[in-house]
Amino acid sequence: MSAVLNRASRNFLWRHPWQLVLALLGIALGVAVVVAIELAMESALASFDQTRKAFSGAATHRIVAGDGGLDEKLYTRLRVEQGIQQLSPIVSGYVRRANDSFRLIGIDPLVEKSFQSAWQKQYSDVGFLARLIAEPGTALVSEQTAARLHLKVGDEIMVEAGNGERRLKVIALLSPSHAISEQALSGLIITDIATAQEVLGLYGRLSSIDALIDKDASDTLARIRRILPANVLLLSADDQSQAMREMTRAFSINLKALGLLSLLVGLFLIYNTMTFLVVQRRRLIGSLRALGVTRRQVFQLIINEAFWLAIAGTAIGIALGIMLAQGLLHLISGTINAVYFRLDAASLMITPVQLGKGILLGLGATLLAVLPPALEATRLPPMTVLIRSQLESGVRRLIKVAGMAGGLFIAIGLALALWSGKSISLGLVGIFLLLFGFALLTPVFTLMVMKLVERVFGRISGVLGRLPARMVSAEISRTGIAIAALMMAVAATIGMDLMIGSFRHTVQEWLQGALRADLYVALPAEKTPASASEAHRLKAKLAAHADVQMLSSLLAVNLIANDALTRVSVYELNPQARRGFVFKQAAGTVWDRFEREQTIIATEPYAYHHDVKVGQTIMMRTEKGQQPFEVIAVEADYSDQGHLVMSRRNYGRYWPDLGYSGIGIYAKPGVDLKRLEDQLGQWLKPPQSIQSNRAIYKASMGLFEQTFTITENLRWLSAIIAFVGVFSALMALQFERTRQLGVLRAIGVTPVQLTALIIGETGLMGLVAGLFAVPVGYVVAYVLIFVIYLRSFGWTMAFYSNAAVVYQGLALAFGAALLAGVLPALKMARTRPAEALRNE
Amino acid sequence: MPTEAAVSIQKLSKSYEESGRRHQIFTDLNLDVSRGEFIVLLGRSGSGKSTLLNLISGIDPPDAGSVIINGTDITALSEHGRTLFRRHHLGFIFQSYNLIPTLTVAENLLLPLELIRPLARADRDKVATLLDKLGLADRCETYPDRLSGGEQQRVAIARALVHDPDLILADEPTGNLDLETGSQVLALLDTLVKKAGKTLVMATHSREVIGQADRIVSIRDQSLVPVDERCP
Repeated sequence: MSAVLNRASRNFLWRHPWQLVLALLGIALGVAVVVAIELAMESALASFDQTRKAFSGAATHRIVAGDGGLDEKLYTRLRVEQGIQQLSPIVSGYVRRANDSFRLIGIDPLVEKSFQSAWQKQYSDVGFLARLIAEPGTALVSEQTAARLHLKVGDEIMVEAGNGERRLKVIALLSPSHAISEQALSGLIITDIATAQEVLGLYGRLSSIDALIDKDASDTLARIRRILPANVLLLSADDQSQAMREMTRAFSINLKALGLLSLLVGLFLIYNTMTFLVVQRRRLIGSLRALGVTRRQVFQLIINEAFWLAIAGTAIGIALGIMLAQGLLHLISGTINAVYFRLDAASLMITPVQLGKGILLGLGATLLAVLPPALEATRLPPMTVLIRSQLESGVRRLIKVAGMAGGLFIAIGLALALWSGKSISLGLVGIFLLLFGFALLTPVFTLMVMKLVERVFGRISGVLGRLPARMVSAEISRTGIAIAALMMAVAATIGMDLMIGSFRHTVQEWLQGALRADLYVALPAEKTPASASEAHRLKAKLAAHADVQMLSSLLAVNLIANDALTRVSVYELNPQARRGFVFKQAAGTVWDRFEREQTIIATEPYAYHHDVKVGQTIMMRTEKGQQPFEVIAVEADYSDQGHLVMSRRNYGRYWPDLGYSGIGIYAKPGVDLKRLEDQLGQWLKPPQSIQSNRAIYKASMGLFEQTFTITENLRWLSAIIAFVGVFSALMALQFERTRQLGVLRAIGVTPVQLTALIIGETGLMGLVAGLFAVPVGYVVAYVLIFVIYLRSFGWTMAFYSNAAVVYQGLALAFGAALLAGVLPALKMARTRPAEALRNE
Repeated sequence: MPTEAAVSIQKLSKSYEESGRRHQIFTDLNLDVSRGEFIVLLGRSGSGKSTLLNLISGIDPPDAGSVIINGTDITALSEHGRTLFRRHHLGFIFQSYNLIPTLTVAENLLLPLELIRPLARADRDKVATLLDKLGLADRCETYPDRLSGGEQQRVAIARALVHDPDLILADEPTGNLDLETGSQVLALLDTLVKKAGKTLVMATHSREVIGQADRIVSIRDQSLVPVDERCP
């Protein structure tokens, strides 16, 4: 490639710095959003995974039971009777100190060296691990945790679990050798097994047993399985990671789809910018071709330029993405904590693979976007490269083809969205095809609207009034892309707003129906047999209060259902509480069978994800062997990813009494609820708490809004990218039209009229984008509600239309376009006519 | 024959800056153009012919001096005032036609009228008549990029005249045309401008035009000097 040719290309960019900036911004923003989501999501999941690994060391398997834990005799049997040496018992739970929550882990410090985790190996020869056993009530914390709590060796800390307050003496501070250990150890208190059992009230119980078993030692696995009680599971480490990833798969896919939406909008922006860069230089390209530069050289010139832009844009995008990921990680961890599982502090982990993905995406997307304009420039013979009208007439032919292709994409997208089974990815591909199809239809729609506008406005406001619409139509190759990008972003916003609105409405109705009690008492999450008696005493006291009419109760436990650890809500329900249940499917008289027979209710997401229908049987592992429970109903529930509902009577037949997680209080008519809440509140010891149904409703809705914070932020990013696209298109258009606008000024058009013309044009572009985005947004919302969210979370919700969302969408499109037009309009209005006329 | 001064240029100076250096185009330029007079501006490329036309029309402000058109000192007017003055009193013809590509031929002609007053039936009739005179009656709904160079220039001349201005400024109107088409355009200018008693200032290199002018001036060494090309 000739150095002079490259210089000609480079000089053009240097002389149009804002175009260079916009081109880089287009690439950078698209890459940044995708990289940020990928980094934040992977970091959140990896931190969970690595924290587990940092503690389980080389463990290949884990033996777990439902809530209530394992009998510690199982460990002895495995080790002594079966001679399996590489086992590590673990007792874990959460304890509180003031307003902080810590994970307490009880370990066996004398576990075999080959089986120790990284941090244990680091301290295995130091001796204080052995002191944990020798001195009861001793603990280890990391240096970071100690610094945070202002602790030093020898200090005592008071911690509180379900079993009352306990004093622990810090005998050493752990200094993690690398970042992962640091993360694994932060917020942890480490003790020996006996101390942990005492603090957590898990006397004679273990939370799990880690095992190191050779891949080939299938007989060892078989031996373990043979002696495991029915209510105990043997899981491989891979199974656990897989299960965690599976649980958050839908969330992850949805987030990545949002990132890809930004990239798709960004792709239009890159295409738009690159097209402008080519079109604006058609005279230069024509001259070069006339001088003997071959088509291949012109193509190489453009691709070469795009390549360097892509490199620079991607580098900026990755840097921006890393910054953005820091913020997103906090939001994503929050959502995972709220909706899926407990996730302790996560830190951003940047791997070469993730960065590689970002680089590939930035380079690939830019080169893909520049291909059409590069080919367009090389296909034209030297003279026609100079003629603008020929270019536009070529584009008009292309618009017809694009319109037909758009129709096809929409049909395929709809088919894929509606008839792709339970696949979330295919459903999302369907939405993308729909959006892309509608985007391809945008120029045709724009031309139709402009014709109409021209007719109407032409009659009212004459030749000048017709000009904005004419300008949009005449340069449809430029305006069409900008309108399509804006339309996509606004349609996605309308679609998501309608979906979130419908979801909010559905959840509000569900919560209002479900929260039947006047007051709710929340009890500690850690359930132990020891804490159960205290909970029973409290319940009896509450029931005896003069102002309390009746109670209901909930115990949230993890049990093994169909060979998987499953959350089960165990209820004692009164007639009023039962009215809060909304059944999606039910067989006969549900409540009678729920109480009297061995039956169970599945929540809608559980039924969807596990393909469970009314009448089917779920096998529950109990200490008395596997027990069949018939599914008698599927109830609406939007609280989690799915659980089962069981009567307290059924639970009591097979599982240990673990007390209650919550107690619903129904006051007698006419009772002052505030006073009752205050009175009962005085009976409670932290972390027990009491809240009115109104407060719980508000907190739940707050949590709901929190889970959509990421969605909100990401779609705003798409809108910003689209805005940059429109702005870039308008700036480039005005640049192209400088001379034409100079002529208007020369024949007597004032700067104000010129500004009005440009603003009129951009307003029309926004209006078209908004008008088209409304129906497209409704289609997107429909697919999101009835396809994506159903497949992702198993929730069905009603579609609620909202006129405000439509107006907001229109205003967003119109406002963004108007705003994007202000600077070009002012720039043109300020340009002296003589200067504009000199421009070519 | 010319009777009184339609344009009076007094002590006009103009310079521009390039790469931090100031280039003087002309200094203390003086010129009086009588009403109905046809003046040709000569000068080498880059001598400032187009700049002088821009200064006369008010689309570029001078560094010093004044331009008085029909008694109005346009250099004393604001930008807005100059625009309105141009709208009412001037017609501009460019070398590269500069028709508005997004307006049809008829709309290009209606635009200057619409800028002055709300369009009336009479305006549309006037445009139709003018186009008929130019032999473009059948092209009124055509967009400029479908016309030949000669046709476009004819439309540009019509646009400069349609609102009946006092002064026509033409910047190399035949520069982009072949000899024959150029002659046709000149003939048109002769009919529509000169015979209608309009004042015309034209920058050109065309010898054919020079032969038709009432007076010829040339920009040399930053000054205007009279030229008598017809003298042997």
